[in-house]
Amino acid sequence: MSRGLLFSILFHAFVISMTVLTLPFMLRDPVDLPPIVSVEFIQITDKTNIPFAPKAREILEKVKKEDKRVVSEQAPPADKAKEKPDRIPMPEDKKEIKKIVKKKQNPEEIKPQIRQASEFEKKELFDPDQIAALIDKAKEEQAETQKKSNKLTQSSVKDSFARGLSLSEEDALRAQIFGCWSVPLGLPYDEKLLVRIKLKLKQDGTILKSEILDHERMNTPGQSFYRVLAESALRAVRICQPLKVPPTGYERWKDLQLNFDPTEMLKG
Amino acid sequence: MKKIIITLLFFIFSVQNANSLIKVDITRGNLDPLPIAVSPLHVDEKSEDLKGLKEKKLGEEISKIIERNFKSTGLFNPLKKDAFVQKPDIAHIKPRFEDWRLIKAQALVTGKILVKDKKLKVEFRLWDLTAAKEMVALSFTTTPTNWRRVAHIISDKIYERLTGETGYFDTRIIYVSETGPKDQRIKKLAIMDQDGNGTKYLTLGNELVLTPRFNPTNQLVTYMSYFKNMPRVYLLDIETGIQEVVGNFPGMTFAPRFSPDGKKVIMSFAKDGNSDIYSMDIETRKVERITEHSSIDTSPSYSPDGKYIAFNSDRSGLQQIYVMRSDGTQVKRITFGKGLYGTPVWSPRGDLIAFTKVRKGRFYIGVMRSDGTGERLLTENYYQEAPSWSPNGRVLIFYRETKSDSKGKGFSAKLWSIDITGYNERMIKTETDASDPSWSSLLSK
Amino acid sequence: MKFNSALRNFVLVLFSTLLISACSMTKKASVDTVDDVYTGTDTVEYLAKGVPDRVFFATNKSKLTTRSRDTLRKQATWLRKNKDVTVTLEGHADERGTREYNLALGERRANAAKDYLMTYGVSGKRITVISYGKEKPVNPASTPLAWSQNRRSVTVKTN
Repeated sequence: MSRGLLFSILFHAFVISMTVLTLPFMLRDPVDLPPIVSVEFIQITDKTNIPFAPKAREILEKVKKEDKRVVSEQAPPADKAKEKPDRIPMPEDKKEIKKIVKKKQNPEEIKPQIRQASEFEKKELFDPDQIAALIDKAKEEQAETQKKSNKLTQSSVKDSFARGLSLSEEDALRAQIFGCWSVPLGLPYDEKLLVRIKLKLKQDGTILKSEILDHERMNTPGQSFYRVLAESALRAVRICQPLKVPPTGYERWKDLQLNFDPTEMLKG
Repeated sequence: MKKIIITLLFFIFSVQNANSLIKVDITRGNLDPLPIAVSPLHVDEKSEDLKGLKEKKLGEEISKIIERNFKSTGLFNPLKKDAFVQKPDIAHIKPRFEDWRLIKAQALVTGKILVKDKKLKVEFRLWDLTAAKEMVALSFTTTPTNWRRVAHIISDKIYERLTGETGYFDTRIIYVSETGPKDQRIKKLAIMDQDGNGTKYLTLGNELVLTPRFNPTNQLVTYMSYFKNMPRVYLLDIETGIQEVVGNFPGMTFAPRFSPDGKKVIMSFAKDGNSDIYSMDIETRKVERITEHSSIDTSPSYSPDGKYIAFNSDRSGLQQIYVMRSDGTQVKRITFGKGLYGTPVWSPRGDLIAFTKVRKGRFYIGVMRSDGTGERLLTENYYQEAPSWSPNGRVLIFYRETKSDSKGKGFSAKLWSIDITGYNERMIKTETDASDPSWSSLLSK
Repeated sequence: MKFNSALRNFVLVLFSTLLISACSMTKKASVDTVDDVYTGTDTVEYLAKGVPDRVFFATNKSKLTTRSRDTLRKQATWLRKNKDVTVTLEGHADERGTREYNLALGERRANAAKDYLMTYGVSGKRITVISYGKEKPVNPASTPLAWSQNRRSVTVKTN
């Protein structure tokens, strides 16, 4: 028994003295962790706007049709391909677009176009000097309209015609509604949980009219959770009034559709 | 030619208009509990006075029970009464929605009580404050002593309207009440309302009682007792108090449950070191053997349609969960994870099986689909087991024990509950220590 | 300065050495399980001189160890000598398992002991078996030692 004790003491003393010798070196300062910075990842798709506005296209085609009517059937199909304005035309620019579009055509194209131009424009186009002057004018007008477009709110830098709301406008609205929407917890995981609400808004962001699309589903037996979900979405929208809408451009966002889908939240 | 052009233009215009409807996806919200105001129910002055019933206070008491029920779910946030803007009688007829919205409530509960001809009549309304309209309006008539159940039934109706699921407030819980030192425990069968009220003891504590279960009508209880030092399964009628042993088995029977139609009792029977699952028809007394294997087969649980039975077996060497047809054929193992699995209980919805898992000295309560996939562990503890489902398949009640020192001190057993999402874990208050809880079905059907 | 810190370290080392060595002076009763089966003598009672009344098991197991068989042989001998004695074998389990399974496990353990007694000439008519699962621990503590002492089959005289 005492022998064991002696050996135990000796062994322990050895081990401890070894650690003691290394102790001062083992003292290290606690590592300072860098402060946590919260970052939210926003999905930015490659293109948040279509290169040219459908409205503009419509105007171009209208113009072409008018030309066709007046003139023979030899409308050059190549015109369509070349008609891509490299800046965004604004509603105020309707008139200018017509003119500019015509004048911006390729020199090679001008000739056949000239032949097909309406009677009263023929004289103008034939004059080469005038054409040169007109082309310069096109450039000037281009610059002007660009300035005008810059004057509009920052957020509509991305094309507002194509989507109605720019990325940051949409984010602001979404973030606002995220805060108002109390997701009911009793929802089944594996059912289709999409509720689409169509809104008609007033200029100040309050709701004029709301409508639940798929409202037949509200009273389907066995799908009572759908009604609960739809009601929670309506509550969210009502509580959130006035909605964060852009200060201008009422026409483009007065009709809004909100797609409520809690699937991500429930699965996560 | 003109027509073509016009239709083309029309098409282009309409397409353009459709594109102009902006669609915004809302994929996130908050999981905050819904703020709800429960106004005290207005007591009609014409109410009669009844002995032992404080009618004047009833309106307030009922609203308190409703509030406590809502708070216990973790889904609702009942607002404090001192902020309430309207008196109960006016609020019940015409609430001023904007005023109630000011205190941030999204829903409002109002009601009226009348005691007349020795009957209690209760009327309640649920209002959607953001839509400014009534959502539910119902009334009940019952004997005055049932006023607590009225509060629970109202809670169920509101819960159902706001979550889309049936409620679970008008229910009872049966459990084993425990007192005394750990190595000499006194155990009694106890029954209480789901909110902890009205505890009644069904046995005296002279012998050990274990694992009680309700039958589907909540009138009978089956449990295991060591009466006369013979461990057997018994039936107990709650109303009459009459107990009788189930069958005439020559050995220990244990782990009893009722079939979903209430006609049979299913249990384990142990003989010569082997435990198998048997069932007995309560009326005809016919006994049927369901498993036949040299391993331990126990803790059987019927699926709600009565077609399948989940059970615990160690035929693979360790405790695992198996599913078989209710005639004992097509036995299939469904748990393959590391650790031991026990106490399978089939959800009343039929979609999930809850279980106890033991791994590396820790105990877990979890759920999985009835084919064994999608295992989710909800809570971990030093010791916990035996989950039981609420009738709507959303909440699990189970029990936990704590460690004890060398003298057995520090030991306690308590009932706990948790939502199947893993949220809202809370302790259920009982008069004494408690174990082996089992949830009844809805008392009002 | 350096001398002071060195002195402090030395005292610290000396103190901890004494502390650790003190541990080696306690009795060797703490670790009394072999392969998870209790092999100690605490909690063991005797049916007669030299006849222990119980055998122990490993976690979740009902297999008899060599030591257990030895004990049971002694019990069988004693029972054959005292032909009027009837016994009950009580099977128990530790608290680290689910309640219902533990009831079955206790029954299996008691039966393992009963079968062994019968192979040594004790009539099955003299033996009844009962399981208490984890309901009656002999040691209420929550330690591996307590649990190993609770995993047992106890032979109790019934007359």
